[in-house]
Amino acid sequence: MNPLIFTTILMTVLLGTMIVMMSSHWLMIWIGFEMNLLAIIPILMKKYNPRTMEASTKYFLTQATASMLLMMAIIINLMHSGQWTITKVFNPTASIIMTSALAMKLGLTPFHFWVPEVTQGISLTSGLILLTWQKLAPMSILYQISPSINLNILLTMAVLSILVGGWGGLNQTQLRKIMAYSSIAHMGWMTAVLVYSPTLTMLNMLIYIMMTLTMFMLFIQSSSTTTLSLSHTWNKTPLTTTLILITLLSMGGLPPLSGFMPKWMIIQELTKNSSIILPTLMAIMALLNLYFYMRLTYSTSLTMFPSTNNMKMKWQFETKQITLLPPLIVMSSLLLPLTPMLSILD
Amino acid sequence: MLKIIIPTIMLMPLTWLSKKNMIWINTTTYSLLISLISLSLLNQPSNNSLNFSLMFFSDPLSAPLLVLTTWLLPLMLMASQHHLSKEPLIRKKLYITMLTMLQTFLIMTFTATELISFYILFEATLVPTLIIITRWGNQTERLNAGLYFLFYTLMGSLPLLVALISIQNLTGSLNFLLIQYWNQALPDSWSNIFLWLACMMAFMVKMPLYGLHLWLPKAHVEAPIAGSMVLAAILLKLGGYGMLRITTMLNPQTSFMAYPFLMLSLWGMIMTSSICLRQTDLKSLIAYSSVSHMALVIVAVLIQTPWSYMGATALMIAHGLTSSMLFCLANSNYERTHSRTMILARGLQTLLPLMAAWWLLASLTNLALPPSINLIGELFVVMSSFSWSNITIILMGANITITALYSLYMLITTQRGKYTHHINSIKPSFTRENALMALHMTPLLLLSLNPKIILGFTY
Repeated sequence: MNPLIFTTILMTVLLGTMIVMMSSHWLMIWIGFEMNLLAIIPILMKKYNPRTMEASTKYFLTQATASMLLMMAIIINLMHSGQWTITKVFNPTASIIMTSALAMKLGLTPFHFWVPEVTQGISLTSGLILLTWQKLAPMSILYQISPSINLNILLTMAVLSILVGGWGGLNQTQLRKIMAYSSIAHMGWMTAVLVYSPTLTMLNMLIYIMMTLTMFMLFIQSSSTTTLSLSHTWNKTPLTTTLILITLLSMGGLPPLSGFMPKWMIIQELTKNSSIILPTLMAIMALLNLYFYMRLTYSTSLTMFPSTNNMKMKWQFETKQITLLPPLIVMSSLLLPLTPMLSILD
Repeated sequence: MLKIIIPTIMLMPLTWLSKKNMIWINTTTYSLLISLISLSLLNQPSNNSLNFSLMFFSDPLSAPLLVLTTWLLPLMLMASQHHLSKEPLIRKKLYITMLTMLQTFLIMTFTATELISFYILFEATLVPTLIIITRWGNQTERLNAGLYFLFYTLMGSLPLLVALISIQNLTGSLNFLLIQYWNQALPDSWSNIFLWLACMMAFMVKMPLYGLHLWLPKAHVEAPIAGSMVLAAILLKLGGYGMLRITTMLNPQTSFMAYPFLMLSLWGMIMTSSICLRQTDLKSLIAYSSVSHMALVIVAVLIQTPWSYMGATALMIAHGLTSSMLFCLANSNYERTHSRTMILARGLQTLLPLMAAWWLLASLTNLALPPSINLIGELFVVMSSFSWSNITIILMGANITITALYSLYMLITTQRGKYTHHINSIKPSFTRENALMALHMTPLLLLSLNPKIILGFTY
């Protein structure tokens, strides 16, 4: 793609999300979402083949439906409150519709079906943008309307997401689908604590984005999209295998890595609000996620996966540039002792 | 406490910056020096704890375990030298780094004041152990073993996290020193029953309790020698230590909640001892004997009398040293025959007489011969369980008999009898191996002269 055009389109995506995050008028927020959606379609279709076309179409249809539902909720809110400022939502119907719309945009259960298929059909870099940047805008709206969200619906969606994210990823070998299911599960954790303490949602979002960025960078660096090709990294760059191990264990939420911090804080917040069975269930279901991360680590770093003989002397044709990888890895694994600094997020 | 933790952390740069022919020498020497520092902690004033800082303290219960942990690192390094000799240098350094990381987490776990900090470090010990078992184990079954180990422990400990946070909510602080003084009786209700279960299950899985012990034979058998040593000697004791700490907060429910687990432990120790009599795999035999000894510790902790706590602590230390020594002996067999089957390497007394002496001493301490500290531990546990209920003496007596049976079975199969004709070309014992056994045995025998230091905080 012409670099100038690509830059323009990328800037439009950024601008769209920024408009969503910084507006106080509901119409501008909707405009921001639409700008974001329209501009990201060419990015998703960087390679022109039927698979990306199918993925982009699915993404467009679901996100457009969600935007329409959002518009309906905005109008109902306008009807009941008479103003367009984003404060809280004044009508329970509008609140439910808005929550469903934002859940569709985020990929929460029961609206999660598009996430694996879209992520699988696009290239690794586009998948990276899809799973990290695109989550920022809907999450910021959820953060802002959090006092008026119906708790039952949100918690049901969150717990079901964690379950689906865990179970759905168990049968996958394609890395992009694994990352998609991991995204569904993490979104579940984030929305579960939204009503109790939105600060923790933001913390979880931050750490999730760091870990997902790291994982995708590591995949891009070894150009691997399946478990099989990931298992050849010991041949190309042996250090990457250790980094993949650490980042995957962090994503699974194992202490003492930083992926444990959001889970710990969320469990603490939920327990302080006297719901005890819920965080226990959530924590146990996160073990499903850990299982397929462990499977990835087994095939990549902890065993030498069977490979044909000519794999052992693999040529590397160009050195891929790894953007920002060392700081990302440090941040996604060693942040746990900084937990007392959470107060800056308030 | 930093005077132990910082040198242990600094062992990691030491390994990475050492020259090729100095890595083993450097790390073993410095870890021995660190263990000498930790010996000064044994000087405990009676019953009170030494508070080093807001975050670390040491107590007559945790001091012997700490000394055992630091003592074991040089022994693990000595034991691993042979099977790592053919690996590239970076992998050797990675292995030593894993062991050092595990050691750091273990030291911090045993001295943590805040219970959440204890929990995080308790979980953190899983990661290096998993890497050691899965990356450097020898058979394909190690993948399954690592998964079983990780998931059994995590399933048990996630409810513990929730329980600890809810206790912090109720009582305001999880600092262990404060809880000793603030302790209130736990009222009797359904939710408190679940609280009790959530607190204890993590440690029951770690100990392991008889019904949840499936991960242990797999993990012990598939781990390399340093992994087996640290698993048997220290990681199981983490469960016992945790139980001893947390039962102070859980009264008076323990008096009736403990019954199912007491039954499981009492029956389980007989079952696992009996399984030992039918084992063909040497490491599996030692693993099941670990389950049996730890079942005694569970019985002791759940009865909650001063004598039983003394017995539990003594038994933990004694079993740590004995079990680790037995694994080293089994490993010396494995390195020669590359098989864990017992009958493949029998009649070793004629070929390796000095090693036979170590086998004899290890088996004798395993069956709790007087006056070793194994006997003191077992005797205290048997006596306190007799005072709890007279009938348990039958089961305990049966257990002691069967323990003697399988220990002697192991000794006689490997040492006595005519040697097989295919093993007369094995290498003689290395000085390193003899030193390893001596370093295991000497503390064990010396402690029988002054067992007061390992009898814990109810002495």
